[in-house]
Amino acid sequence: MRLSIGARLSALTLACVTLILAMVVGYAYVVSRDTIVELARKNGTAVAQGTASRINAQFQATAKVTETVAATLEDADLSKRFLSDLGRRVLFSNPGIFGTAVAFEPQAFERGTKYFAPYSYRRNYAITSVNLGGDDYNYFTKDWYQLARELNRPVWTEPYYDDGGGDTLMITYSAPFSRRTPRGLQPAGVVTADIDLAWLQRTISSVSVSASGYVFLLSRYGAYIAHPDPALIMNETIFTHAEDLNLPSLRDLGKEMVAGRAGFVEFSDLPGVGAAYVAYQPLPDERWSLAVVLPKDELLAGANRVTRIMTGIGLAGFVLLAGVILAVSGTITRPLRILTRAAGGIAAGNLDQPMPAIAPGDEVGDLAASFTSMKEALRRHIADLTTATAARERIESELRIARDIQMSILPKIFPPFPDRAELDVYASIVPAREVGGDLYDFFFADEHRFCFLIGDVSGKGVPAAFFMAVTKTLIKAVAEREKAPGRILSKVNDELAADNDSCMFVTLFLAILDTRTGRLEFGNAGHNAPLLLRRGRPPEWIGSLEEPMAGAMPDIDYTTGALDLAPGDTLFLTTDGVGEAMNPTLELYTDDRLLETVSAHANAGAQDMLRAVSASVTDWAGGAEQSDDITMLAVRYLGPAPQ
Amino acid sequence: MDIQTRIVDTKALLTCSGRMDAVTAPRFEAASTELLGQGHTAQIADLSGLEYISSAGLRSILAAGKKLKAAGGSLAFCGLSGMVDEVFRVSGFLKLFKVHASEAEALEG
Repeated sequence: MRLSIGARLSALTLACVTLILAMVVGYAYVVSRDTIVELARKNGTAVAQGTASRINAQFQATAKVTETVAATLEDADLSKRFLSDLGRRVLFSNPGIFGTAVAFEPQAFERGTKYFAPYSYRRNYAITSVNLGGDDYNYFTKDWYQLARELNRPVWTEPYYDDGGGDTLMITYSAPFSRRTPRGLQPAGVVTADIDLAWLQRTISSVSVSASGYVFLLSRYGAYIAHPDPALIMNETIFTHAEDLNLPSLRDLGKEMVAGRAGFVEFSDLPGVGAAYVAYQPLPDERWSLAVVLPKDELLAGANRVTRIMTGIGLAGFVLLAGVILAVSGTITRPLRILTRAAGGIAAGNLDQPMPAIAPGDEVGDLAASFTSMKEALRRHIADLTTATAARERIESELRIARDIQMSILPKIFPPFPDRAELDVYASIVPAREVGGDLYDFFFADEHRFCFLIGDVSGKGVPAAFFMAVTKTLIKAVAEREKAPGRILSKVNDELAADNDSCMFVTLFLAILDTRTGRLEFGNAGHNAPLLLRRGRPPEWIGSLEEPMAGAMPDIDYTTGALDLAPGDTLFLTTDGVGEAMNPTLELYTDDRLLETVSAHANAGAQDMLRAVSASVTDWAGGAEQSDDITMLAVRYLGPAPQ
Repeated sequence: MDIQTRIVDTKALLTCSGRMDAVTAPRFEAASTELLGQGHTAQIADLSGLEYISSAGLRSILAAGKKLKAAGGSLAFCGLSGMVDEVFRVSGFLKLFKVHASEAEALEG
């Protein structure tokens, strides 16, 4: 199916617009996404570094305080009171430190005391002081004591739960200290400061990443130290976690982080957040590693929103454009549709159909103007044709009437004289399509003199018909006064030739038969000779006196021929329409063929003979159009009337 | 019908061939009238190539003959044969027009 011009224009334009829109939106999305990802990389790295350094600063501060205290203890005058105040002072001025202890070697504080370790820590928003050590808390075996004591240098412990001490998850910085004795400096114990993992957790929680983004912290062996999910802390390493989740990419991240490298990676699916970017960063000293998780959805929310808005604006524009195009193409094609309907009406023949008023100036206007002038030309042409046809029909009708009148003046009732036994007369005329000028006639000039004639007016049409009618009337009038056929023809000729500027003429064979004696007198004005059929003798052509046709020239003396007819003799008269009848290959019927046919029916009656010839001629013509009238007249003398 | 005209000395010769019937006959009269208009009053029609002549043909010849006669000229014929000769004889044209046996004789006479 072919779409309308409007629909095709709309479809094409809108397809292009859609393509352009898709390209613009796509490009904008890709660019903004890349920009945002780049921003996220910088931002994530910055957050990671900032958080790492904040934590590190706390660690360093803690280490510094611890080492200062250790150094102070070397030659201070120690009392329980002093140590207790020292702890409180440290906690008071270092909000990042959860607790601090000064743990002595057995007997090192005072003789007889195995465990002496005054410990101050934060509990229910207050600072509490206790003395650590006892059978249920042998601190000499704890990492925080043993590592520093054995290595004889400050050390950070791994995260641990201080059961019976601070009762919380923590890491501890331990620094050994000595006392000046008379035997020199002797190791006397360990000063500690604890950092609560909950504090670390709070610190990284306070880092604003995004709605569901977060920061987590790994120990040097990959254990979760800080993570929004408390169940993971100190229970899982990143590697066991990756195993549980079946996430090889998480394991790869763990390897990178444990190796102390910094970086930025993309995850297609992280539990809880889905697709995400992760920026990771080692802490400077302790080979811990910190990671910032940035959920992709939230990062790209802005870009997605912009894309959605652009798409929305695009769609609205698309709809608007579609409407405008449809409206415009409608205004372009509406006159075309109107024109099409009007043209259809004209094609159906309704020329009175008004053409739509379409403003000129554009192509459609020109087309409409052309249509209008075409319609007018058609209407005029049809009107002319109608007039011409009517005129022709009138002429043809008049010709038909002329023909009818012409035919009606010829005698057509047979037998014409039922009470005359002397004669058998029959005649026929087969007119050609065009009005011709053949004529025949017969009448009794007086009681016993039977006059008959046949003739052919030159030319065709109405003039020929008139000429023929005049001739027939003239002959009848003259024949009543003149006796000899030659005289009759001479008189008729003079009358016809007078004022005959059109040079029309008529060939005539005229004969008068005395029915009492069989005496036949005849005259011939240029007509083809009739056939005489006598009993027991071959047919013969008679009466060609080689005299001119009537009407051509005046003052011609026509001779009168004579012969005697016996009863049973027949005179067969034709016009040249018989001999010159043509078959489809333009061959003439010829007088010879006429002679043959007539001979074959020599003994038949006038009517039968005539019909036989007529059938023969029709057979010869075989459907070819008849070009001339075919007229025949047969007169058979039957003998004088019985007295 | 085909008509060729040529001038021999003082006479115009019209050589007709083909069929002179109701359709073609007016051409003879037209050709003759045209020659008359050029001043050729003595005309000879050679009908040796004519195979058929109808009554319309006779009328055309008669009309041409009458015009020439009125202009003090003449129309003569030659080369009559067969059907044309028969028609001329029967129609009495032999009594109306001068007919020569050949073209040469017609040009002499």
